[in-house]
Amino acid sequence: MIDFFQMILSGIAVGSSYALMGLGMVLIYKASEVPNFVQGEMALLPVFIAYMLLSSYGLPYYVAFPLTLIFALFLGCFLEFAVLRRAKEPNILGLIIITIGMEMLLLGFVSWKFGADQRAMPFPISTYDSIIIGDIYISTIDMLTLVVALIIMLILFLFFRYSKIGVAMKATQQNETAAALMGIKTHRVRMITWGISSLVGCVAGLLLSAVLTEPYMMWDPMLKGFAGAVVGGMTSLPGAVFGAYIVGVVEHLFGGYVSIEFKSVVAFAIIVLVLCIKPSGLFARHYVKKV
Amino acid sequence: MDMKRNYYEDVQLFTSGVIVFWLSVLVIGLAIFPFVAKNYYVYVANYMAINVIVVIGLNLLVGYTGQISLGHAGFFAIGAYGTIVLMTKAHFPFLLALPVAGLIAAGFGFLLGLPALRLEGPYLAIATLGFGITTTQIIGKIKAFGERQGLHAPELTIGTWHLNTDRDFYLLLIPITLLLAVFARNIVKTKVGRAFISIRDADIAAETMGVNLTLYKTLAFAVSAFYAGIGGGLYAFVLRFIEPELFSLFMSVMFLTMAVVGGLGSILGPIAGACLLAWLDLQLRNILSIPYIGEWLEALSKSYFSITGVSNIQLIVFGFILIMIMLFEPLGIYGIWIRTKKYWKTWPF
Amino acid sequence: MNSVFKNQTQNNKGKRRRSMKKIFLSVFTVLAVTVFGLAFNATAEEGVTDTEIHIGQWGPQTGPAAPWGAVARGTDAYFKMINAEGGIHGRKLVHHYFDDAYNPAKTVAGVKQLQEDIGMFAWVSGVGTACGLAVKDYLIERKIPWLSPSAGSRHWIEPPNKYIFNIYPLYLGDAQILCQYAVKKLGFKRIAIAFQNDDYGKQGLEGATKQLAKYKMKLVEEVPINVADTDLKPHIMKFRKAEAEAILLFVGPGHVARLIGTGKAMEFEPQWMTSTTCGDVPLMMAITKGLYAGTILASFGMLNPKQVGIGNVEDINNPSHPLLKKYHEKAFKQFAAKEERWGLTFAAGIAYTEPFIEALKRVGKNLTREKLVAEMEKIRNFQGIMGHVSYAPFKPKDPLCRIGQQEIFISQATPDAKLKVLTDWIKTEFIPSSK
Repeated sequence: MIDFFQMILSGIAVGSSYALMGLGMVLIYKASEVPNFVQGEMALLPVFIAYMLLSSYGLPYYVAFPLTLIFALFLGCFLEFAVLRRAKEPNILGLIIITIGMEMLLLGFVSWKFGADQRAMPFPISTYDSIIIGDIYISTIDMLTLVVALIIMLILFLFFRYSKIGVAMKATQQNETAAALMGIKTHRVRMITWGISSLVGCVAGLLLSAVLTEPYMMWDPMLKGFAGAVVGGMTSLPGAVFGAYIVGVVEHLFGGYVSIEFKSVVAFAIIVLVLCIKPSGLFARHYVKKV
Repeated sequence: MDMKRNYYEDVQLFTSGVIVFWLSVLVIGLAIFPFVAKNYYVYVANYMAINVIVVIGLNLLVGYTGQISLGHAGFFAIGAYGTIVLMTKAHFPFLLALPVAGLIAAGFGFLLGLPALRLEGPYLAIATLGFGITTTQIIGKIKAFGERQGLHAPELTIGTWHLNTDRDFYLLLIPITLLLAVFARNIVKTKVGRAFISIRDADIAAETMGVNLTLYKTLAFAVSAFYAGIGGGLYAFVLRFIEPELFSLFMSVMFLTMAVVGGLGSILGPIAGACLLAWLDLQLRNILSIPYIGEWLEALSKSYFSITGVSNIQLIVFGFILIMIMLFEPLGIYGIWIRTKKYWKTWPF
Repeated sequence: MNSVFKNQTQNNKGKRRRSMKKIFLSVFTVLAVTVFGLAFNATAEEGVTDTEIHIGQWGPQTGPAAPWGAVARGTDAYFKMINAEGGIHGRKLVHHYFDDAYNPAKTVAGVKQLQEDIGMFAWVSGVGTACGLAVKDYLIERKIPWLSPSAGSRHWIEPPNKYIFNIYPLYLGDAQILCQYAVKKLGFKRIAIAFQNDDYGKQGLEGATKQLAKYKMKLVEEVPINVADTDLKPHIMKFRKAEAEAILLFVGPGHVARLIGTGKAMEFEPQWMTSTTCGDVPLMMAITKGLYAGTILASFGMLNPKQVGIGNVEDINNPSHPLLKKYHEKAFKQFAAKEERWGLTFAAGIAYTEPFIEALKRVGKNLTREKLVAEMEKIRNFQGIMGHVSYAPFKPKDPLCRIGQQEIFISQATPDAKLKVLTDWIKTEFIPSSK
């Protein structure tokens, strides 16, 4: 029984990092209608910049991390402005290929600049402490990830409901022409959406890098985040988070009780099953196409 | 662009004498190529041909039927493992094992097509992605498939012809590729192809017109899986050794990229895309040997970047080419070709 | 409109006939030149001229396995050092290494290109079992020597081939010796294993199972790990449930770091034991933030236990082994790149090619592939910075004639990123794979 709770707790802990990636992907999907393959690498570059600032330049944490987050914001905006916007009459597959191209470019750039060795990211909280409740462990990093994920969700919720830019973003997603007619600068709004998504991804990346930093570390979380976002519904932010938690918990339960090797496989099988029942994900509104 | 005056003109394989001429030049060139070029270039040509086969199939699914698949590496793996296992365990001759493996892959394609009936866009992408990952995991567990250690391809003999050099494989591959390309083109021009196109453009309208969505969507998956299976079976022999790790998500993404960059919705498009990207994949490592650019890149690496990671320039260049092609021509390489043709056809207006 | 086209095609036909003739003429010339050119090349040994020996290597310089790219760079620095000292019998070693990103298709492409464009005399090292297996047949058919594949797989010696000389001690041996030490010396009763889901991990599993069977014991838990996994909590939970006292880690360095870290977070600290692939103690200490201290490792070289002494500590950054010191000074400091890190992987690139260089020196001025093979077969108990390496004249049924090094020793990581020697060289037994 204890094991069961431990697995659920660990699943929620790992689901939080997936949830952050999923949030980023859903934000961009709602804005640009493209599943974003560069989500991982948009986070990777700022993380390595943070590593450089912390280890080579010796900046303190409270200077380096905010600088990194600002860099991530600008990186996201830059990618949208310089690359995605320049696509003429894009279709979805073309945009996907552009994101894949950006992903390779950023990954190659990071590997080129920093070399391929694994590194340890200096982090204010030790990765190896844990909080013990009875017989159940949750490491401090996981606790932090969980708390940060919840805080970010809350911030995004308030942002979208109450701030001007947030409302503008919602308007642009619902109907771009009408938003433009109402005086919203849709291009700028889209750019800011990318920036925010990159920021969220960067937070996820920093938390993930606390354990181990290497150029290829973002692939797996991005994939699981994508899967989670799909289960929850690509057009719904709380759905993405919920889906990510489901993926995390299912993986851990299956890995603990049945077979560790196949845990990813089962996660995807569950996703396909859920999608067969609800084709647009759990929380999204299923838009019925008209002829 | 070209006006068709009757059904026969739409369906015929060669629309004019000019096309016949250039095609025969191409065929003669392809036939002479392995005898004049170095063995290494024949290997590159083999690799490109296999990618062409798979991407033509993928294009039937993505370009003509409007679905998306991130799991084609799974069908590729089924074809590769199927061919080898049928040849070693069931003692099938190669010319029988290959189509049977393709049909097995087509069967799995049909199974994958069933959930596809309700899904689209990123949802379908994740479902197919899951399939691709599942296949490699399951293959990695089966002892008959060599588990994780992989399988060696057996010796290949067709009748009395013993194939073991790249040139032999080339002479086997190119006719198969040409055959499959012609086959794909014929599919596209018939009722089945028109059904695919109608599903892509407006599937609800198609259904009301009497196009059986279930049949044609699963058929699209099955046919593209067949192509991928054949490609996989041939790949096993070109590479001589396969293991589950080869058929990764990255391979599926590469196939999709080749299809889109080449140009969806045509037969020449995937050929161009697969040739270009497969060639880049194998040849970009030579980028540092290009006379001036190579030295400049090395100097740049030494001063600002790490020289140890200098080979990562391959990734950067590859990504850059992808972005450039898609930014300037969303229809891919085939789109560039069509634009050029249109420009010169209507010149000087 | 049809007639307009017909006229054009008539014109084209004329042009076509003339251009066809040109094509055939040029093709014929090319063929003739190739045939005559080939005739002249057939006499000299491929890859050897009066002043140069061409040697090829592949390795993952990019991709997820890129940290192993340091092997090729290590060999490169070593060859440059030898060239600076005058080369081998007046010939400089020209080292061609390329990046295959751990993708066998690229390995085949690179090997074929280098072999057919420039022509390599021999191939050394080469990281990756799958990559090596893809090119093995190609090299064997052309009778090209391939020395020291950098992966402890049994594929290189089962069946043994005249031209392939293994050096890397098989992973089987690591598992056997670690189990032996854990049971006999440390008295552990509950031993588990975490193994990567490929040939490397499976060998570890097999070796551990067979060794423990000798003591009438079994592994209490066997946990496979996929290369792409980043979340290892379920795995640790399994180990904890099985109450393992010692855990063999047959995974890559990244996974070792995650396992040890996750274990510490769950307050589960068994005796960790790693294979020869995680012997880079400074790197492991850095990425585990010091938790690696106390881990017991199997080592295949970079120090001589006899020379250092059992119980003493050796620092790889300040080696006491005279040869390793020389390489550190002459090869690494002079020829390695600015941001290259001196470590086990880099030094391994040098270690794998030492027997090859020794054999090259012994052959003398008249260098051919057959002579190289003959000299390699005469190597008995050669020791560079690894263990004793021995080969024997080729016998098709005897894998040991090409096995190279069969001995390893046990060491332990200390809190200050040094290596403490625990045992002397121990010879492993070879277990043929069951088919």
